Amino acid sequence: MEQSLNNAFAILVVGMITVLLILGLVVVLGNLLIRITNKFWPQSENTGKAGSGSAGIHTGTLSAIVAAVEAVTGGKGKVTKVEKK
Amino acid sequence: MQDIFSSLFEMTAFGTISYQTVIMWLIAFVLLYLGIKKKYEPLLLVPIGFGVLVANFPGAEMGIVDASNIDLGDGRYKNLFEIAHEYGILNFLYYSLIKTGFLPPIIFMGVGALTDFGPMLRNLRLAFFGAAAQIGIFTVLIAAILLGFDLNEAASLGIIGGADGPTAIYTTIKLAPHLLGPIAIAAYSYMALVPVIIPLIAKMLISKKEFTINMREMDKKFPPKHKIKNLKTVKIIFPIALGTVVAIFVPSSVPLLGMLLFGNLIKEIGTSTSRLADAATGPIMNTATIFLGLTVGATMTSEVFLTSKTLGIIAGGFIAFALSVAGGILAVKGYNLFASKKINPLIGATGLSAVPMASRVANEMALKYNPANHILQYCMASNISGVIGSAVAAGVLISLV
Repeated sequence: MEQSLNNAFAILVVGMITVLLILGLVVVLGNLLIRITNKFWPQSENTGKAGSGSAGIHTGTLSAIVAAVEAVTGGKGKVTKVEKK
Repeated sequence: MQDIFSSLFEMTAFGTISYQTVIMWLIAFVLLYLGIKKKYEPLLLVPIGFGVLVANFPGAEMGIVDASNIDLGDGRYKNLFEIAHEYGILNFLYYSLIKTGFLPPIIFMGVGALTDFGPMLRNLRLAFFGAAAQIGIFTVLIAAILLGFDLNEAASLGIIGGADGPTAIYTTIKLAPHLLGPIAIAAYSYMALVPVIIPLIAKMLISKKEFTINMREMDKKFPPKHKIKNLKTVKIIFPIALGTVVAIFVPSSVPLLGMLLFGNLIKEIGTSTSRLADAATGPIMNTATIFLGLTVGATMTSEVFLTSKTLGIIAGGFIAFALSVAGGILAVKGYNLFASKKINPLIGATGLSAVPMASRVANEMALKYNPANHILQYCMASNISGVIGSAVAAGVLISLV
């Protein structure tokens, strides 16, 4: 049993350090990715919203239109203006 | 005539019903009651409960047989046809899907496709509390050895503290497959009892003042340094990058974590892989859950389940769970001693991997003390990191034990 207990204590120390290390890496990696994407692929504030010509359109309707266009075009299409006739 | 009646009686199971059989039926009925009526993890407790029932029908030969029955020696085993022919379909399913470690990672893929890393990416520092909440796993490992479990069994018992069913099952398959039934039952039962266990521990360790720490107010006082300008891209790159890093540091956690991250990736890519994500979260995950539940239940035959070790697992599992909750809370309290931007300790309590129930419970508790204090998204950050933490802890146990 003494041998098992020694092993268990070692596993406790190694295990907790490993979990902390990996989650520390999650934090570092996440921050790094955020910085890189912010620098090289920032999304403009308007993305996902239609242009100024969309005034008067209900935001829920607008979001539905934007989502539908994104789904149909596989993310390539963007809604720039929605007008009421 | 008497011979006919005698044969008829022998054909039935009446002569082979023992008190152990009846106890197992009662356990099965309780599990079914909890799943159906009380709605405690019904997707798992119902198949597990029914698996227990069919495994303990005398003469039906649906119970899972010990691995020594299929071991031919020299590292050779009976083939699946022989297993199905000799021991029935549940043994076929068990040895092909469970014993091979196939189903838990498949379920993790579905979990990944249902997981949103967004809250964690928005509150990255909270991910550390997912690590602190793994302390229950390793502490109970030591306690279980003192209680007479061997190292493999103790590690399987400790992993219940991770509050993650597939992880507990996967670790137990690898380390102590003979304890699979009781450990799976304990893990899922305590996960279902999260709404009871978290408030119990939280009220013991958190003061009224700490319950009212408002995370949004803290964010206003101390705004985050970096705003995420393209969350969609970050969410797509994140599982790929994290999977690569984890694979280098803890390769044994890759079957679980790799599948989790793959599931998440196909969800985050969007429309071009949405069919894969739908399959992972729908038909595949549902089918896997049925087979996992039934076969895990079928491992619980009276000879395996009605032992003193089962009681040890039930008690040890609760302690592991409670210590994990306490570990997360105490880590936040320790952090608050030194930081000016305080964190609500309830967020530490959600460092377990019971997603999203732990977060919902913590949020409801916070709202009781202050109806304007919504902490759900912050809880989800440590909750999701808890999923990663418990999978890494499982990888460590599998590697080192």
